[in-house]
Amino acid sequence: MAIIEMESLTKVYKKEFSRKKVCALNSLSLKIDEGEVFGFLGPNGAGKSTTIKMLLDLIRPTSGKVTIGGKKPSHMSVKKMIGYLPENPYFYDHLSARELLIFGGRSCNMDSDTIKERSRELLDELDLTAAMKRPLRSYSKGMVQRAGLALSLIHNPSILIFDEPMSGLDPMGRKKVFDLILKLKEEGKTIFFSSHILHDIERLCDRAAILINGNLNRLLDVKEELSQGETLEDVFMEEVNKTGGLRE
Amino acid sequence: MRGVLSLAYITFVEGIRSRALFGIFIMALLMFAVTVTLTNLFMRDIVKVAVDLSLATISFSGLLMVIFIGNSLLSKDIDKRTIYMVISRPLSRGQYIWGKFFGIFLLVIAAVIFLGILSSLPVYFAGLSYENPESVFKWSIYFYAIVLIAMKLALIASVTIFFSSFTSTSFISLMLTIAAYIIGTSTETVKGFLDAKTQVIEISPLMGYVINGVYYLFPNLATFDIKLQASHGLALPEGYILWAMVYWFFYVGLMVSAAALIMGRREFP
Repeated sequence: MAIIEMESLTKVYKKEFSRKKVCALNSLSLKIDEGEVFGFLGPNGAGKSTTIKMLLDLIRPTSGKVTIGGKKPSHMSVKKMIGYLPENPYFYDHLSARELLIFGGRSCNMDSDTIKERSRELLDELDLTAAMKRPLRSYSKGMVQRAGLALSLIHNPSILIFDEPMSGLDPMGRKKVFDLILKLKEEGKTIFFSSHILHDIERLCDRAAILINGNLNRLLDVKEELSQGETLEDVFMEEVNKTGGLRE
Repeated sequence: MRGVLSLAYITFVEGIRSRALFGIFIMALLMFAVTVTLTNLFMRDIVKVAVDLSLATISFSGLLMVIFIGNSLLSKDIDKRTIYMVISRPLSRGQYIWGKFFGIFLLVIAAVIFLGILSSLPVYFAGLSYENPESVFKWSIYFYAIVLIAMKLALIASVTIFFSSFTSTSFISLMLTIAAYIIGTSTETVKGFLDAKTQVIEISPLMGYVINGVYYLFPNLATFDIKLQASHGLALPEGYILWAMVYWFFYVGLMVSAAALIMGRREFP
């Protein structure tokens, strides 16, 4: 059963001064099933982050519609279902990871004991226990990314939306995040994530969409469609070449 | 409501731990020390000078805090995209704005209480040179003056929030807040000049409308300035504080609600 549905989703931005229109996403229709791990790939400026922001009601579609669990993304019950990790997350400088998680839990109406327990579990799992009282501004990029992951998971959401979750991580950090996504997949969570690391998408995802210049170029079943020897990178490059290059 | 309160709490914590706040407090401490020294140089009206300088210190330090720290607490969210992390949680845009306002409001209250206690020391020492300091000065009016300063600062914070709700950078909202502050402190004098009808220079009807428009549109910050009464120990007109509070509730409510409305329509690409 589809939990996320996008129907002819289009986003056109107007440039601030020239008022020139730029179509960031063109009539995207997609259905993501419950419990599915869905990879969203494409070069920079393909419309991946635009799509994710529409799923979170950070921006609104110019036309078309998006529903999550049959409701609009702005609905509070939908927001409770979602855990989101933005690309290059930036949190409050003077807060600690523990305070960040307390905020995350309280904003979802969780009780103090559950927040405490869940925070301990997540900080432990993401190797942040030793640094949990330190201000976030003293964290390395990878640590900030992991704190963001912990925040996205604090309320045990059923849908996870990650925008470039591996970006800026060292090999150890990447492995940690990879294992976490794998664990979440086993728990039956719906995971929608964008990434430039094709190998990770190939290993983690059930299905993937290749987006180029705001258009959905290909939707593929990762396990079934990748024939012997062919990699996702080959498919991706083939799609990019078919479009005749990237838009500026 | 829990979400609003938790956002208010982290906004307050973020503000109170800011290094800029320590800088402002150190500056205020130095100004209080200077007040003690300066008052000793005066032969008369020692309490008046001490009260004047102490209240000016609270007001100026608080203003720096609201303009620079208060402004950054909201605008930085948009500049650095921290807002993604907040509004992707089960919080509406309106709740986000109210949470931010309550956080900055708490910061203002905490800072004014701290500065108010410190400021009473130079006033107390100045009062020691009088046999009966209550004859020239009243602590109750001094207390009201501090309460009104806190209200003024919270009102400026609401104006900052309003500007941040539609500007794209913290610098623009900072400039607009400073402009609103300058207009807000002088609008009553200008309106008084217009209403007195004793001007040497004739004011055109159009200019009259503009002045009236500005007077009603911008916050009248002179309402919250009773330094004169506090330093001379003069009683306030009956109901003054009550009307100031009504005005404050109305203006702050309007600013924050308008900001919430604008924020509700805004996109964060």
